[in-house]
Amino acid sequence: MVEKLRDTPKIDELMKGPWPSFVKEIKLSAKLSGRAGERANDLLGVLERSYNDKIGHWKHGGIVGVMGYGGGVIGRYNDLPEEFPKVAHFHTVRVNQPSGWFYKTDVLRKICDLWEKHGSGVTNMHGSTGDIILLGCATEDLEPVFADLTEMGFDLGGSGSDVRTPSACCGMARCEWACYDTMGACHDITQTFQDELHRPAFPYKYKFKFAGCPNDCVASVARSDMSIIGTWRDDIQMDAAAVSEYAQSGKFDMQADVVGRCPTGCMSWDGQKLAIDNRNCVKCMHCINAMPKALAPGRDRGATVLLGSKAPIVGGALLSSVMVPFLKMEPPYEDLKELAEAIWDLWGEHGKNRERVGEFIQRIGMSNFLEQIGLDPIPEMVIQPRTNPYIFFETEEEE
Amino acid sequence: MSVSEDQVAEAMYAMIKEYHGKRNLKALDLSKAMIEKFGEEECDKKFCKKAIRQLIDSGRCTYSYVGGSYIVLPPDSPDAR
Amino acid sequence: MAVDMKKRVTDIGPPHYDKFLPPVIKKNYGKWKYHEIVKPGVLMHVAESGDKLYSVRAATPRLASIESIRMFCDIADEFCDGHLRYTSRNNVEFLITDESKIDPCVARLKKEGYPVGGMGPSITNIVHTQGWVHCHSAATDASGVVKSLMDELFPYFEEMNLPAKLRIAFACCLNMCGAVHCSDIALLGVHRRIPEIQHDQIKAQCEIPSTVAACPTGAIRTATVDGKQSVEVIEEQCMFCANCYTVCPAMTLNDPEMDGLSIWVGGKVSNARHEPMFSKLAIPYIPNEPPRWPTAVKAVKNIVETYAKNARKFERVGEWIERIGWPQFFDLTGIEFTKYHIDDFTHAGESFKRSAQLRHK
Ligand code: SF4
Ligand code: SF4
Ligand code: SF4
Ligand code: SF4
Repeated sequence: MVEKLRDTPKIDELMKGPWPSFVKEIKLSAKLSGRAGERANDLLGVLERSYNDKIGHWKHGGIVGVMGYGGGVIGRYNDLPEEFPKVAHFHTVRVNQPSGWFYKTDVLRKICDLWEKHGSGVTNMHGSTGDIILLGCATEDLEPVFADLTEMGFDLGGSGSDVRTPSACCGMARCEWACYDTMGACHDITQTFQDELHRPAFPYKYKFKFAGCPNDCVASVARSDMSIIGTWRDDIQMDAAAVSEYAQSGKFDMQADVVGRCPTGCMSWDGQKLAIDNRNCVKCMHCINAMPKALAPGRDRGATVLLGSKAPIVGGALLSSVMVPFLKMEPPYEDLKELAEAIWDLWGEHGKNRERVGEFIQRIGMSNFLEQIGLDPIPEMVIQPRTNPYIFFETEEEE
Repeated sequence: MSVSEDQVAEAMYAMIKEYHGKRNLKALDLSKAMIEKFGEEECDKKFCKKAIRQLIDSGRCTYSYVGGSYIVLPPDSPDAR
Repeated sequence: MAVDMKKRVTDIGPPHYDKFLPPVIKKNYGKWKYHEIVKPGVLMHVAESGDKLYSVRAATPRLASIESIRMFCDIADEFCDGHLRYTSRNNVEFLITDESKIDPCVARLKKEGYPVGGMGPSITNIVHTQGWVHCHSAATDASGVVKSLMDELFPYFEEMNLPAKLRIAFACCLNMCGAVHCSDIALLGVHRRIPEIQHDQIKAQCEIPSTVAACPTGAIRTATVDGKQSVEVIEEQCMFCANCYTVCPAMTLNDPEMDGLSIWVGGKVSNARHEPMFSKLAIPYIPNEPPRWPTAVKAVKNIVETYAKNARKFERVGEWIERIGWPQFFDLTGIEFTKYHIDDFTHAGESFKRSAQLRHK
């Protein structure tokens, strides 16, 4: 047990106030007995130092990982190892979360015990991509941590130029709007591509995110190379009596707030009856969100597959764009897997180092990309056709 | 097939050794070079993948990360100077 | 390291989620009928079978001690037969079937210091990154700013009186772990000086050709410095993106006085009403003011309050601004419009106003 916690007047300011404090969390871990406590205590010290210096004290990179894997561990070193020896190596271990982030307490407690024994007692629940993050592993502890994890039935997630840990919204487990089994698909894809996840062989990272409906609770359209967003093709299901109840509830103004906000103006309300021109509904979810008891997605359900979103690095931020307007999402998800593999083949061969799929498509051209992976160009893929006449006509003889 | 996995792994290893300290190689750089060297018939992408796995699992090579993932000699390798 | 590869277990992937689902979910999987927010932080899902599931949502700081995870486990054992889940926004949810256990569970969480809320038209947890706690690239701390912000925005977490949900995200550098670029309000750490090159380290730590190639604007070229092979940066071409630093640790951009954060508004990911959209620049730079970042907190609060006062029901920040126009947004918030607000990167022209449809004061 650490005799005395590091003196941290600056960050102690962040113990105050009603919102839960991360400083309090680090201190809880610093009070643990054994090495975990010592390490968390030095983390407090480093952080206090950063708050005084207004600069981070971490270095990155290098060769660090478990045998055989190229992903799952991210090297982190402190630049003040003499002052803070217990966090000189303080690597990140990414542990692949179960789909939908559901846990039983027995398994969570086991993870806690492991991280008290081998680590720092500090975690992120969860990291940005979805993994359980164990923060601060020493190099020599990596193999023991991995052995204990696999014994508990867990494995590492992705990092580097590989398939990153896929994630999913809770979907059918707890949401009436799920248009396919997000957790099932996420688990299946994760298991199928274990090799691609652990042994980086791509130009850069490749993320999958599974959202059950166009509300996109996992931000797949912005945060994944392959965004699989649930949707439906037939009519919205409606319970007219429940619609009337909402209309009378005073919760909102049916005309202004629901009908008036439909992006395609395909709804009408005569004061009694709600009508939807389903042919023109773009499945935005607005009316369903407003009246969950009265409206529901149709019965012919599947997903829209979009491709290519990313953060700004390197060539600017992108949102995903439509590849397949509607795909039935049934196990074993062969169509989705074939599409992913066709993309990897092409991008793997011609992509530049650190070039995400979205950037790759922009560089080689969408039409060219579609031709290579064997998809036909369709109007659903664009907002509008081109407005410039600079067309690269293919001039060879037509057959 | 007349080319063995060991042979491909050896050729890859020689390449990594040659480029050590000069250029970092990605899995794909290795596969491309091997396919060129041995021909697609003898040595396809899947075969290359196996050879890489052999090099990594035996500890002769390791993954490194500097903005991208590369396959390199471990720092304590006798061939790493 | 002597590792016996034969005995080693690899590539098993994550455990199957089935093992962790409560019986009520297993029974009603894919058969939920509707849901309702019973009160702030408490969600009720009703299945076709009539079964009910209550989820009590509490905020966590994302950075979690195993001690507090154990405490959550105690609570889940006491009220939920050991079942809990986390959300994509770092909240924890307690899954309850016995209605009488809701209030005691809420009370217990509040007593332990974990507020309950973040549902419906509210501000829920701020998704964020590592910052000075654990990242090499951070231009600002993440957890500290988030904590300072949420202390101030706290009432919006516990209540549900905004026009629509308001999503805030934080990233401490342009790498944007967690891609914050589509949030109602995004805070983004920014560097503002060119990389400092450690010429004696660069050959050992970096590969020069890939470092040169890493720069999106071509600002890096090879150079010989004191007889050593190295690189130089053309100052006018550098936009401080730190892409070079990611591939070459000997080119640091971190700087105590020049680093800070920027604020972006009007993004969204959901398809409801308006299509997903990026956040746009509101405030280009605010200096780092640890430990409580008062200027940044005040700026965000101002945007939230202006939005709350002016937006119509169901209107997200971006939809509101689109309706009233950007000039009015700057007017209402009192934020200064500067030359930095006008895009000059690759697709800059797309954001120029090309019509005479303007409001005049
Ligand atoms: S994305 Fe849709 S289906 Fe998934 S949890 Fe959100 S609302 Fe439910
Ligand atoms: S889902 Fe959206 S587009 Fe379709 S009817 Fe409802 S509001 Fe209109
Ligand atoms: S956003 Fe940048 S600084 Fe922050 S954790 Fe990610 S890489 Fe590090
Ligand atoms: S910070 Fe960005 S723009 Fe500046 S030199 Fe580095 S890579 Fe180029």
